[in-house]
Amino acid sequence: MAMAPPMRYCVPGERLCNLEEASPGSGTYTRHGYIFSSLSGCLVKTSDNGELPVVSVTRETESQMLPDVGTIVTCKVSSINSRFAKVHILYVGSTPLKNSFRGTIRKEDVRATEKDKVEIYKSFRPGDIVLAKVISLGDAQSNYLLTTAENELGVVVAHSESGGSSLLYPTKNCLFLSLGAEVFRWYPSAGVRCSVPGHTLKNSAK
Amino acid sequence: MPGDHRRIRGPEKSQSPILYAPPDQALKVYTGEYIPTRDPRRQQPVYVRAGHLSQATGSAYLESGDTKLVVSVQGPRQAKCGEPPIGLEGRLVCDFRRAPFSTPGPRRSPSNSNEKELSLALQEALVPAVQLQRYPRILLEVSLLVLQDGGSALGAGITAASVALADAGIEMFDLVAGCGLALPPGANSAWLLDPVLYEEQQAAIGLTVALMPASNPVSGLLGGGEGCDSDRWAEGIRLGMEGCQHLYPTMQKCLEGATRRRRSRNPSPSPSPEGGRAMPGGSAASHSAGKVIGQFRGTNASSPLLLTLAVSLFTNLTLRKGSQKISSFPPSFTYHCLILF
Repeated sequence: MAMAPPMRYCVPGERLCNLEEASPGSGTYTRHGYIFSSLSGCLVKTSDNGELPVVSVTRETESQMLPDVGTIVTCKVSSINSRFAKVHILYVGSTPLKNSFRGTIRKEDVRATEKDKVEIYKSFRPGDIVLAKVISLGDAQSNYLLTTAENELGVVVAHSESGGSSLLYPTKNCLFLSLGAEVFRWYPSAGVRCSVPGHTLKNSAK
Repeated sequence: MPGDHRRIRGPEKSQSPILYAPPDQALKVYTGEYIPTRDPRRQQPVYVRAGHLSQATGSAYLESGDTKLVVSVQGPRQAKCGEPPIGLEGRLVCDFRRAPFSTPGPRRSPSNSNEKELSLALQEALVPAVQLQRYPRILLEVSLLVLQDGGSALGAGITAASVALADAGIEMFDLVAGCGLALPPGANSAWLLDPVLYEEQQAAIGLTVALMPASNPVSGLLGGGEGCDSDRWAEGIRLGMEGCQHLYPTMQKCLEGATRRRRSRNPSPSPSPEGGRAMPGGSAASHSAGKVIGQFRGTNASSPLLLTLAVSLFTNLTLRKGSQKISSFPPSFTYHCLILF
């Protein structure tokens, strides 16, 4: 964005330019061969060498406000069931949402392998923070459908069952390892929750 | 009569109240019919300001003559459990309310007032302008409160609501400007643009026109009264469209001012395009009193064996330290081991 020329402010419906001079970016729509602005903000014209410049309208506040199909979202588990886990979507990418959206992680979307052996009780607990990806907007009645069946997705922060304030952290084998003052051993990944006296290990949702 | 204390007497000098009445009403008393004495095309001066409510996504305050109103936009949000489901195109819900002190006279009960009808008219005028197909399963709420009704409240409300929606960052095809009109009774009366409250109450026909100024389609029309022929209606609508076009520069300037204020409040540029992960960044291993915070950072390609060795070494170290000196450390000490891969 060039700062030397004065900022050009647009309102929705203002005609920006021809489709032959530039290609439309975010915050614009096209009609009858012209590009119109659809937001009230500043006009930004980025010129790539060789291609048409891209015209877009930006606002200073968050541009990405809605969870779209394919975006990575950060959510918090609110309740669990034997078939799915209900979550509140808090962040889309790295921008926080003003109003949280509701999402669902079904049993078959928790892992990529051994989908039928997944147990939701062992993969999620209410209060966990989960990184997930949106796979669908859902039906009219239902919420966003999310999946954690990828390497980078799953539970990232959780509290241990033994209470207190010790947080669980993900380790290399996708097991949570609670290191309170009393932990001495941990169990390698078996995909099963085992409780060491006073502590718990949890299978991350992978 | 001197010394009469039982009667309340008026002032010595009294004048006819007609002298103090506005010229329109004075003429009515004398001639028996209402002849407006103002230029039928004059519009009240309009003041609009956007973005003054911090808790709403978007807001606008509009003053048109004596009419003052406040609009706030909430959302985008999901429909809650009790509400009807929303399809692939978002839904816009409008709420038109009058404050109890907005009109002179006794307070009207909600069932008597036409607030529901005006809310639906407001929604009908705004829906063609908002790009609802970009907001699937999303609910947008527009709440309008009329603080003082000085005539053509619905027209002013439509203008203010579209400014508030643009201020909220909702993607729209165009702004919407609204304008009120009134046709006084009588055979040769002319349409009055932007009537005041008295003119509205005396009118035979009231009309509100909502126009999208840049592309010119009429998005909303609400009129009622004892009919006249269709030519007069068309004349009224044309006058209303002209009035709406005159409002467009004011709305543009208001939104420009709001964008400028927002830029000066948040000078940071727009955020990075791809959302990052929620993992915390790296910090150097530090040994602070009672806490050992160690971090290993490795790439995905590092061999598992090496990592397992490193993990076991580190944890044995810390755990052994913990187990040997557990008695001497107060129970509040915790060892955090953050291993990032």
